[in-house]
Amino acid sequence: MSYVKDYMIRTMNSVTPDDNIRKAIILMYRSEQSVLPVVDHQNKFKGTIYSNNVLKNIIPESFGFLDSSRLFYEVNEAVENLKHVKDEKVEKYMSRNRDAVKENSDMKKIADIMLNNKESLLFVINDKGFLRGFIERSNLLHYLLDEAENGSGS
Amino acid sequence: MITTVTLNPAIDREYFVEKNEVMKNQFIYNDEDLKVYPGGKGLLSAINFKSLGYEDVQNIGFVGGKQGMFFEKMVQKHDIISNYIYTESEIRNNVKIIGRNPATYTQYNDYTYRVEKEEIDELIVRFKRSISESDCILMSGSVPEGVDFDIYQRLIKIAKKRDKHVFLQASGEALKLALESKPDVVTPYFKHHKTLLDIEMNTKEDYIKAGKMIQERGAKRVMIPFHCDRLLFDENGDVYQLSPEGYCIINWLGASDAYNTAYLDYAFNTEEFDFLEANRRGGAAALWIAENKEIYIEDREKYNSCLDRLEINKLEV
Repeated sequence: MSYVKDYMIRTMNSVTPDDNIRKAIILMYRSEQSVLPVVDHQNKFKGTIYSNNVLKNIIPESFGFLDSSRLFYEVNEAVENLKHVKDEKVEKYMSRNRDAVKENSDMKKIADIMLNNKESLLFVINDKGFLRGFIERSNLLHYLLDEAENGSGS
Repeated sequence: MITTVTLNPAIDREYFVEKNEVMKNQFIYNDEDLKVYPGGKGLLSAINFKSLGYEDVQNIGFVGGKQGMFFEKMVQKHDIISNYIYTESEIRNNVKIIGRNPATYTQYNDYTYRVEKEEIDELIVRFKRSISESDCILMSGSVPEGVDFDIYQRLIKIAKKRDKHVFLQASGEALKLALESKPDVVTPYFKHHKTLLDIEMNTKEDYIKAGKMIQERGAKRVMIPFHCDRLLFDENGDVYQLSPEGYCIINWLGASDAYNTAYLDYAFNTEEFDFLEANRRGGAAALWIAENKEIYIEDREKYNSCLDRLEINKLEV
């Protein structure tokens, strides 16, 4: 049997609910991750902060339509909005879902969770709820490829 | 969870050539002649702990830029939990050129890495929340540009406030200041200057004097490298000399990290801690590394085979 811990990425890259959005954005671009885990002051998993959630809160609703005449104006508006949002706490924008998976979970369950939740990335915790890292679709595909080539999936 | 701290990591690149000559183009076609690996004292110990079968080992520190991401990937390949503060500045690259005939070793040490104040503050915050699962913290290595020399002092103070056991390997001013926070075990290292607490290290008496001073300033136990030996300062004031016998050194890299790992591995797995036995294990691991080309220890059995070549004598001081 293969476990999540055999395919996951081990990292403690994270923010806390009382960190500000500026810090989360800097961490996102430096670590090249658009989703970050939110942990408490003991490193226990509390939720997720998505770059999309931040963007939705600073970009006007109409943004996204291909209206090039308004694009410049709307980007400027987003910049103005971010000036206020950047100092707000992660707590306000995080998702308090508990869809983290355990490092000792069977890899077969991961496909189900990922597809049902439409999540491309799941955070991994240990039995006590401490953050251990994450697993994403490419890791799931890695597992499936191993199964396919070793023939154990048939 | 074992926590190791590496503040000044580097990507180490080793190039093996037949003859290292100035103004000559070298061509490397064999991948065995080119080694790229993540370097940094605390990190090498973290990799060793994984080899010994420890489930959760994390490495805390700074990494920077695109090369920092590459460094982190290499660390994660060893199943170590990376816990890094990403800096604006690019991580260091150390280049080593090893000539075979004649045997030469040329090092280009990169000291360009710089850490900003905001990044140091973030490290402190991250460190506080990341040690909750660890009983023991191993801090080891140099301090990058931009980081004040009191960094170990600050980190140890945080760890001691949370009743953690601290093992410190440091040098120079960072070591001197760190002692104020009373680390449990201290093992200095020498790189640029052969001084300890501003004392010039020449005779064995100088080393003994420095070891005693380190204890007076707060460390419970001290181990000081003394040529190929180690001087051991137990918490009751006794001083010993650990000496290897009949050895042939072909590699220094990783020896002190192996020592630290094996020392702590013994401490983690015994009910009744024996300082001399812990150092014998450490010495055996360092000896195994020194006599092999490897920079990481592989298993206990291999390095324990060196145990009977170590002698410990009590010194009259």
